[in-house]
Amino acid sequence: MKVKLHVWRQKDKSTPGHLVDYDVDGIEPDMSFLEMLDILNESLILKGEDPVAFEYDCREGICGCCSLTVNGIPHGHQKGTTICQLFMRKFSDGEDITIEPFRAKSFPVIRDLIVDRSAFDRIIQAGGFITVGTGMAQDANSILIPKKIADLAMDAAQCIGCGACVAACPNSSAMLFLSAKSSQLNLLPQGKPEKLKRARAMIAQMEKEGFGSCSNHYECEAVCPKEISVQFIAKFNRDYLAASIKEGA
Amino acid sequence: MFKYLNHLVISKFVMAFSGAYLLLFITGHLIGNLQLFMGREPFNAYANFLQSIGEVLWAERIVLIIAAILHIITSIYLKLHNYKLRGEKYAVRKYVKAGLNSRTMIWTGLMILAFVIFHLLHFTFGVIDSKNYNYQELYTKNAYAISFAGDIEQANQQSMSMEALNPEPIVYERHDVYKMVIMDFRNPWVSLFYMIAVALLGVHISHSLQSAFQTLGISGPRFTRFIRPASIVYGFFIGGGFLIIPLSVLLGLIGGNI
Ligand code: HEM
Ligand code: FES
Repeated sequence: MKVKLHVWRQKDKSTPGHLVDYDVDGIEPDMSFLEMLDILNESLILKGEDPVAFEYDCREGICGCCSLTVNGIPHGHQKGTTICQLFMRKFSDGEDITIEPFRAKSFPVIRDLIVDRSAFDRIIQAGGFITVGTGMAQDANSILIPKKIADLAMDAAQCIGCGACVAACPNSSAMLFLSAKSSQLNLLPQGKPEKLKRARAMIAQMEKEGFGSCSNHYECEAVCPKEISVQFIAKFNRDYLAASIKEGA
Repeated sequence: MFKYLNHLVISKFVMAFSGAYLLLFITGHLIGNLQLFMGREPFNAYANFLQSIGEVLWAERIVLIIAAILHIITSIYLKLHNYKLRGEKYAVRKYVKAGLNSRTMIWTGLMILAFVIFHLLHFTFGVIDSKNYNYQELYTKNAYAISFAGDIEQANQQSMSMEALNPEPIVYERHDVYKMVIMDFRNPWVSLFYMIAVALLGVHISHSLQSAFQTLGISGPRFTRFIRPASIVYGFFIGGGFLIIPLSVLLGLIGGNI
């Protein structure tokens, strides 16, 4: 297989970037998208050029490191898939492929296709945890949780924090991330007591980091590699609204 | 008062509550206006009835004005704020779920605003086209008085002197809203402008209804599957409902007797 790439190259945070064209040949249809980029980089290194910087870790769709916008869609066109799990057989021979970093003011480009997503870490530090004294884990069945609730919490917990939701959102909103990260705790008895405090802290940090508000475009849900539902945003809003009315904003 | 604008999620609640009130209003307004199809008498009677409940009407108007102001200020603020937070523009951008309706909310909204200003000057204050605004219609609450209709003074004097038992005036005068609407919509430019505006309103609403529910947290797997298409149908009905009024006048389907 052969593809024509248009890749975003940018030296560092402060230097403006631009798209550069590369032809890549000798691709096996069963290679992953990142392996295709490896081939490009090998050829660039052989030519003595700078390889394209892109981020990855697990390459199996669970760590949330890979963060490419491919042909205008974060993580590419295959639904519910990280870009590391998208295979070249899903593209046609000779296809034009544009690769850009995740775009948002709060995700500044560090180099080429790598963006700084530490804003997400700071949101988690602000409230995405439960305050418990560490010690022995308690007996597994001492707190009973209905299956439906456990499943829902599990759905929320699938979020790998990759940031595709922000990259896809016309407002650069992080509400899907926020709602998933708080729902996975709020739904369970251990997370409930700090529900409102958590919401306030995470929202405040989100605003400080420069993420926008949600306009219900649902673009986040459409590109989320874990297909996390915007119903978590609705639930988050409902809880926050009820708490604000009861306890004052 | 506008301190809430610093809080993105609270701002969205303000958008949803004010928008929901606007939705209620616009639905009532459409139902009222469709009475135009029932003819001159019922329509003018309805318009007259609205005027007669003065305080209630004003209370409703005040809430409406507050909702509209909150809705407009918050939306403009949020849009400008979000706009600043975008990163560099994508060279290639493909939307998967976001429709044209959701991405153009601010533009359809601003055009609705421009239209509403024109509409108020036109039909409520009668500044534009005041010739058509000033029609009066004589009407009666009593079929017997119809023979006098034509001269309100004479009719009422006659009836009061003749009918000692009935000292009430029997012929009244009221604003001929029906004639005003018909005459105005016979102007194809006015009609065209109204039709474009209400079509945009329909587009705005096709995203709005489900959006308000989502923002206020009314959601669930089954409800979502219902409300998203329902929102589009609703926008279609509201837009279409308003649109057939000028269209029918232009086509001569109503108002032929004027
Ligand atoms: C009768 C007229 C109108 C109705 C019925 C209406 C209704 C609504 C509703 C129900 C929403 C959903 C709120 C939410 O997302 O939770 C909405 C959103 C919106 N409206 Fe309106 N609206 C009207 C007029 C306007 C006007 C005049 C503007 C002008 C600036 C405007 C701008 C917007 C914007 C920008 C949004 C999206 C806000 C966001 O999600 O970020 N609307 N509208
Ligand atoms: S590299 Fe870990 S999810 Fe893609």
